[in-house]
Amino acid sequence: MSLTVNGQEAQMPDPPTLETLLAILHLRQPYAVARNEEVVRRSEIQQCNLMEGDRIEIVYPSAGG
Amino acid sequence: MQDTLRFYGHSFSSRILLGTARYESPMLLVEAINAAVPAMVTVALRRQIEGGLQAGQSFWEVLRATNRVLLPNTAGCYTVKEAVNTAFLARELFETDFLKLEVIGDDQNLQPDPFGLVEAATELVKQGFRVLPYCTDDLVLCRRLLDAGCEVLMPWAAPIGTGQGPRNPKALRELRDRLPDVPLIVDAGLGLPSHACQVMEWGFDGVLVNTAVSRAIDPVLMATAFANVTKAGRLGYLAGPIPVQDLAVASTPEIGKPFCGEASPFAAKGTA
Repeated sequence: MSLTVNGQEAQMPDPPTLETLLAILHLRQPYAVARNEEVVRRSEIQQCNLMEGDRIEIVYPSAGG
Repeated sequence: MQDTLRFYGHSFSSRILLGTARYESPMLLVEAINAAVPAMVTVALRRQIEGGLQAGQSFWEVLRATNRVLLPNTAGCYTVKEAVNTAFLARELFETDFLKLEVIGDDQNLQPDPFGLVEAATELVKQGFRVLPYCTDDLVLCRRLLDAGCEVLMPWAAPIGTGQGPRNPKALRELRDRLPDVPLIVDAGLGLPSHACQVMEWGFDGVLVNTAVSRAIDPVLMATAFANVTKAGRLGYLAGPIPVQDLAVASTPEIGKPFCGEASPFAAKGTA
């Protein structure tokens, strides 16, 4: 199953859940995630199943004016 | 004297807001924050922080340790959809409803798109965000933003990062006069401490500075300067400046002036 993660194509292993994807990526905290341009709340990550072609965005705090 | 900046149920003793971008290092940013003691610090969200994982982590750790109120922005958003989606991500990431809403309408001068701004503000206020819109000095736009539910507005002085200072003083002052009860924070385009002092003397409620501090030769000293003049300008406004007059008005009393009505003894003797 292929996804787009931060604009890059990525292959998703089973089970195809957001929790699995985030675990594989070894992300540092804090981060926030959107699936197909909608935020996935922290409390919803565990239940979020992914579908072929999903677009995932993972963002971190950054300097800004 | 209790003089606080208030909006969305919050009260701030400082009237300067500080951006966190374009500092040489996270430590310099922290020193500037400590020097300015800002009411809020602006932050952004990105896929990967410039300089990589380590720099990003360092930025966040040191910023969090300052315990300042965070104001996430939607910088770089050109459409309502982008801005709204970014706002939701920001709320999740930073755990705050505060939002500096930017919807940019031109990529040359980074001028706000007034139509997109009102549309995005309307939606985000409905969704519970406490929106601080980065806007122009257009009175009608500002009114529409207030109608949308914004409690505070952030008109520009000049395009972001230019350091030009107030480019349209008459429009800014008129805005201040026409919206006397609305907190107005001048955001973007300030370059010198005197620019900040000037707008504060005009009665604006605060200033937001970033590049003017972060790109100064000595950002910490400049942060101190901006903090001091922001206070000075506010005090000058509260103190009630005198009206400007065309003709001179003697400040020293005439009454009791010596030699009044007599010829000068020096002149009588022919002395110069």
